[in-house]
Amino acid sequence: MNKVVIVGGSIAGVTAAGSLRALGWTGEITVLSEEKDPPYSRVPLSKGILAGTEPVESAVLPALPDDVQVRTGVRAVRLHTEGKTVELDNGELVPYEGLIVATGARPRRLAEVGQAGEHVVRTLSDAETIASAVLGARTAIVVGAGFLGMEVASTLRHHGLDVTVIDRDPPLLRLLGPWLADLIVGRATADGVRFVLAPNGVELIGDPVRGVITGPGEEFFADLVVTAAGDLPNVEWLESSGLPLAGGLVVDDRCVVAPGIVAAGDVAVREVLPGLFRRTPHWTNAIVQGQAAARAMLDSDTAPYEPDHYFWTEQFGLDIKIAGELPLEGAPEVVAGDPDELSALLQWRRDDRIVAVSINHRMPVARLKAMAHA
Amino acid sequence: MKIDIKLPACEGHGLCAQTAPGVYELDDEGYVRLVVDEITPDLEAAAEAGARVCPVAALAVRR
Repeated sequence: MNKVVIVGGSIAGVTAAGSLRALGWTGEITVLSEEKDPPYSRVPLSKGILAGTEPVESAVLPALPDDVQVRTGVRAVRLHTEGKTVELDNGELVPYEGLIVATGARPRRLAEVGQAGEHVVRTLSDAETIASAVLGARTAIVVGAGFLGMEVASTLRHHGLDVTVIDRDPPLLRLLGPWLADLIVGRATADGVRFVLAPNGVELIGDPVRGVITGPGEEFFADLVVTAAGDLPNVEWLESSGLPLAGGLVVDDRCVVAPGIVAAGDVAVREVLPGLFRRTPHWTNAIVQGQAAARAMLDSDTAPYEPDHYFWTEQFGLDIKIAGELPLEGAPEVVAGDPDELSALLQWRRDDRIVAVSINHRMPVARLKAMAHA
Repeated sequence: MKIDIKLPACEGHGLCAQTAPGVYELDDEGYVRLVVDEITPDLEAAAEAGARVCPVAALAVRR
């Protein structure tokens, strides 16, 4: 094998490219990215970049080695596994010997086709667009009260906007369980964020969008409407490829899809229980899988990778780090600090599973991870 | 090549040390430090790979 093509230029694909080189592989590497920007980190997009308080350059990742070809602004539209080529939107066929799929996911949108003005947060240019819209805005609606929606709400609120968060489920409850969700929502409410429960969902109204209408017909208007209602894996270009798809591209415990084809990051799903396929769309997972994909590409007998169930969120003055598998049921054990003081180290135990959580409690993340086990 | 460590930003994730153990390690407190005095050319790819995976951009590469 002399030529690896990586489709996708975000952290999973870039990590895979860097790992191939770090493992000493000297063949040709081409990274195909549909974005116009050079590879960057999505971490600050919902935070400093969104508020316009951090320069865009601060998100750019350290460059890949010079002998890795990065092609931006090119979109893969089809995979030809028999001829071993990736077809681009300009008709070009890019030949590969090894293929790494890291096409990530895109935001789920609520706007009708042709309805303008819905904001989402996925790319650098999405965040830049919001940062400039914020300048003339006084009010905002965030549709979606998951991690992203809540971080966006926090950033906009701290920027002085009047913020309403709307979701069909109670904020963060399904993700974090009642104890931690209550703590965060309490802070957000104290900061002046308004929450609306819309069990039947919402539709965007206006063109350009200027608000939402809930199932029972209640209308809310704002200068800025941001949708953070989950994401969809970018697998359409693989539909005719014959590769296994199940809410993402199916990988095994070494990130292998098929001989000579591996995948990593938000696009990848694993069968966690028979018939149950799950993505793990977190930063550390994208890195761990990017590294595993590179190892599997070079050595088909490589050991299974260790999944990394760690993620963090920063919102409403809370820096929360979570190691272990969700959900968090019931109340935690307080290991250090005091939750009422908004600074604590906590553990949730259920059966023999432990999840460790720090809230505004500085400690090395590697040690937090050591406190958790599945 | 030089690596600038912004220590106050480091949160001790350890991804750099795991990615490039020949360049980075965690100190007794659990935060990053360099294993080597100098990033020699044979360590550059690893040093950059380690910097790239830092979730909090605590590692900057100067070429």
